[in-house]
Amino acid sequence: MYGRRASQLLRELACSETGQLTTFNSDAFDQVIKECNEHNLQLQSLIRKIEDENLDIQTTRNEDHFGAVIHHLSLIRNKHCLMAYMYNRAETIQSLRWKVGPVLPQEIQEKLNYSEEEYFKNHSAAIESYMSELDLDLTVDMVPPKDPYIRVRVLDDIGEVCLGDHSISLTKHSLHFLRRTDAEPFISQGIMEEFLE
Amino acid sequence: MASGSGSGSGSGSERWSEGLETEAAMAMETTDVELLKRAWRNEKAAPEILQFEAALVLRAREQIQLLEETLEEFTENGVDDLVVSLYQMDLDRTLFLLRSYLRIRLQKIEKYMIHISKTNLWNRLSEQEQRFAKRCTDIMEKHLEQSVLSRLPYGYQSILKQSISSEEDDMVPEPQLDTFVFCKTKSAVGAFQLDDTGDEIVDLVADDLYVLRYKSIKGLVEGGRIDLV
Repeated sequence: MYGRRASQLLRELACSETGQLTTFNSDAFDQVIKECNEHNLQLQSLIRKIEDENLDIQTTRNEDHFGAVIHHLSLIRNKHCLMAYMYNRAETIQSLRWKVGPVLPQEIQEKLNYSEEEYFKNHSAAIESYMSELDLDLTVDMVPPKDPYIRVRVLDDIGEVCLGDHSISLTKHSLHFLRRTDAEPFISQGIMEEFLE
Repeated sequence: MASGSGSGSGSGSERWSEGLETEAAMAMETTDVELLKRAWRNEKAAPEILQFEAALVLRAREQIQLLEETLEEFTENGVDDLVVSLYQMDLDRTLFLLRSYLRIRLQKIEKYMIHISKTNLWNRLSEQEQRFAKRCTDIMEKHLEQSVLSRLPYGYQSILKQSISSEEDDMVPEPQLDTFVFCKTKSAVGAFQLDDTGDEIVDLVADDLYVLRYKSIKGLVEGGRIDLV
């Protein structure tokens, strides 16, 4: 059945939660590419057959023509599925830069293929270049501010950090009263949490 | 009392005029903040990217800078904590609006980068956004070509067309302009035609809340006669 492998890729996309990536399915992916090339070979040989019989390629409507059309349409269907798979994963990767930050944790890195890792780095760089052109960090302040300062508890040893004009020692389990925008990057990385009484 | 007011009048009047300046800045800022909030709300609700408000963003950044400087002076002069936290709150809220506005636009560019690059939506972007969009499209093209397109047979390798036999670019994702949006009229618009065939006509009264397809009211939003909520 043509296109079955390709729909497997799409099913994988549909089953995963939004914003989450599954491990790149290179087996299925390579198989679909192989199918595409096979379709192309069949398509070309059918076209050559029509030409060998000295029939007009544009107007002939025999079984060879329709066979070629089926191969062409299956190829296009496979192309759609492959592009949708890559494009949707790329969109998720884009959202990771906003949600997680410039460095991806190991569990997510493992799920990307080589090209996707490069894509993440390049896309990250594009965002950072825009932010530095404007001199404005757009990855903080993700929720409307309620209090300018919040209480935080440090979850992992971070060490000496320079915030504004003074430095603070962020040791594990210590409590601090920090500016929200200063604390946000640490909170999104999971090494600090807001301390709510 | 006399000596007190005498020695105080010099520095007192300085502080008084500074205070007036900041008050004037804050009064201007209220209108600008309203404009920024409106631009932010429209951008958030609209399915496509809207015109970049360059002048507004510039003014907002100036206000932010003024607020930051004022706050620094306050902390140096040991001004009352309550006043400091009020100014800080104001600063934070303006900063949030500005950041969120720019962020929403950037995310729309990420989503529809190819469509924006190929249509006159390109003119709605600021210079820096155009540079970002160009970079994004280059990166995305490289990524898709590397992983998919270069491995497909000749004739099917285009990123824009399904195959070389396609007559137009049929593989570009576009924003859905048909989505319904909540909107509020600022002044009476009168009888308004909702679609091309003239079947649906709606009477738009001032200050009323409506739920309409974005496509129908696109022009009114661009003209500033209707706001999205």
